[in-house]
Amino acid sequence: MNGAAESAAPVIDESGHFHAEDAPIELSHYTIEDWISFAFFWALALTVFYQFFTRYVINDSAAWTEEIARYLLICTVFIGIAATTRRSRHIQVDFLYRLVPQRAGRVIATVVDGVRIAFFAYMSVLTWQMMGKMGNYRMTLIDLPMNAVYAVCGIGFVLAAIRSLQVMIENARRGYSVLERPEILIDETL
Amino acid sequence: MVPALLGSFLAMMSTGVPVAISMAGSALVYILLTGDLPPFVVVHRMISGIDSFPLLAVPFFIMAGNLMNNAGITNRIYNFALSLVGWLRGGLGHVNILGSVIFAGMSGTAIADAAGLGTIEIKAMKDHGYDMEFSVGVTAASATLGPIIPPSLPFVIYAMMANVSVGQLFLAGILPGVVLAILMMLTVAWFAHKHKWGGDIRFEWRRVSKAVIELGVVIAFPLVMWGAIKLGLAFNLALVLGFVLLFVADWRFRFDAVMPIMTPVLLIGGMTTGVFTPTEGAIAACVWALILGLVWYRTMTWRMLVKVAMDTIETTSTVMFIVAAASIFGWLLTATRVTDMVAMWTLSFTHTPWVFLLLANALMLFVGCFLEPTAAILILVPVLMPVIQQLGIDPVHFGLIMVLNLMIGLLHPPMGMVLFVLARVANLSIERTTMAILPWLVPLLLSLALITYVPQISLWLPHALGY
Repeated sequence: MNGAAESAAPVIDESGHFHAEDAPIELSHYTIEDWISFAFFWALALTVFYQFFTRYVINDSAAWTEEIARYLLICTVFIGIAATTRRSRHIQVDFLYRLVPQRAGRVIATVVDGVRIAFFAYMSVLTWQMMGKMGNYRMTLIDLPMNAVYAVCGIGFVLAAIRSLQVMIENARRGYSVLERPEILIDETL
Repeated sequence: MVPALLGSFLAMMSTGVPVAISMAGSALVYILLTGDLPPFVVVHRMISGIDSFPLLAVPFFIMAGNLMNNAGITNRIYNFALSLVGWLRGGLGHVNILGSVIFAGMSGTAIADAAGLGTIEIKAMKDHGYDMEFSVGVTAASATLGPIIPPSLPFVIYAMMANVSVGQLFLAGILPGVVLAILMMLTVAWFAHKHKWGGDIRFEWRRVSKAVIELGVVIAFPLVMWGAIKLGLAFNLALVLGFVLLFVADWRFRFDAVMPIMTPVLLIGGMTTGVFTPTEGAIAACVWALILGLVWYRTMTWRMLVKVAMDTIETTSTVMFIVAAASIFGWLLTATRVTDMVAMWTLSFTHTPWVFLLLANALMLFVGCFLEPTAAILILVPVLMPVIQQLGIDPVHFGLIMVLNLMIGLLHPPMGMVLFVLARVANLSIERTTMAILPWLVPLLLSLALITYVPQISLWLPHALGY
């Protein structure tokens, strides 16, 4: 998040001190799944902090906090999976694309896009099936159905399936995916 | 049906299907082909795979690093490093290494480290007339320090997979980190001698001694606290008094970097004395960084906090998605006895730990070239752990070897990932970046050999502190 490279001024001034500056912060490109995940994340942070606080200051940690924190983490992650899918930020191996000719790379990358859609779509269906089988399970300490957590995961998979379809269309339109040109991800980070 | 499991996994992963989908997807293929289990087990297993209290540490370790990675704190840490070693010959090379030691592992991934800090470091070195090759080489090499010196995300993941204590692994990382830093600084000194470089700032007693005093304060603080508590001061009282004194001193003497450097010290101190669990330690580090950024230095804005949270969520989701998928995949590997077969096959041609370690190093360096370290840990630990247990190798020691290998793999020519990132950052060709990094493999592989074959470097400190 440091944007030192763009500015012309030296990073170290005459008196020998560092003056790196932060790049301007852009928040407009975040979409709905980012913000849902964001809400779950802060709920998680507050819960864990509350637990920390009750344990050290009041010397009596609230037992429900641990359980709810675990579920909030699951929700953050599964909605976050949709967000990382949209930005093509999943950890993947792009080495093959340095070896094969460009046209073969395009074919393989398209198959990969298809696999991703199929996976998320099938996982959405499986989550739905699981919710049917486990309909009666309750959480351990809190009197809520486990299906509340599973539903969030299911929504995450559905969103990820939709986003991976969008990514596939986008890749087909512009003629390459991040697998073929990993440098576009590096440039985003800089 | 085992070939279907492994075959589909390797086919997917090598063609660029996300690692997590390769794992969960091949598990699905296996389950659909055998028909032994209902396929929704995959979903259930994935969700319960991340339903664990120790894993709550992951997002907060990542966040603590992201909170420290803003210009307000970066400048302070680099000013401190500049005061301490900037006047040496080849000054900015040393600053680069020391900066990485302090920032060590606070940020999520080595790739983000190389891109974020690397950009500033390379710019500063370019301003001061260093050649691109040297700047890129030292930046790449020092990026490997991050995950070795605690706190570190790869260690948290390894600890979970290998069932060892996070605190013990963190302690075990300290001395190897020092060994690495020393060997790299010697390499800088050698370059400086060869090219007859001078220092980058003037030598001033005032500035150097101030930096030394700051270092002293950081080291003394936990010792004094520990002593006060031993002498019978109540724990909470000692804590409150200590922090009040620390903030007063920071305000009075305008320290550059005492407070930021205190973050890992408090974290590791708290964890090793058992004051807090890794998760609580991570939360405490976040609270500390927030106090510094929002209240004490006021260098952080609310917009930045939103961005930090978003970055944290992204890294957390990508890592935890693999953790979730690895839990079903690893379970199938064990259930189908693949891990047993690998162990038997390995043990059929070597029973000597040092031969095994040599082979394991080669394997991990190779894997590290292609795979993100956390992903590699999640795949390799379940496969290698049975052999390690059979051979009586300490899993903590092996954790260090593994993480260091995976880090070196990231920059190992011809295909490490950090290599590609830095080529982009520095606007160099892959060939020139490769040549730039090559000499730095000498100190890195030397320390790898030392850390592999002298287990005391890793194990002495945790044993001395009673683990």
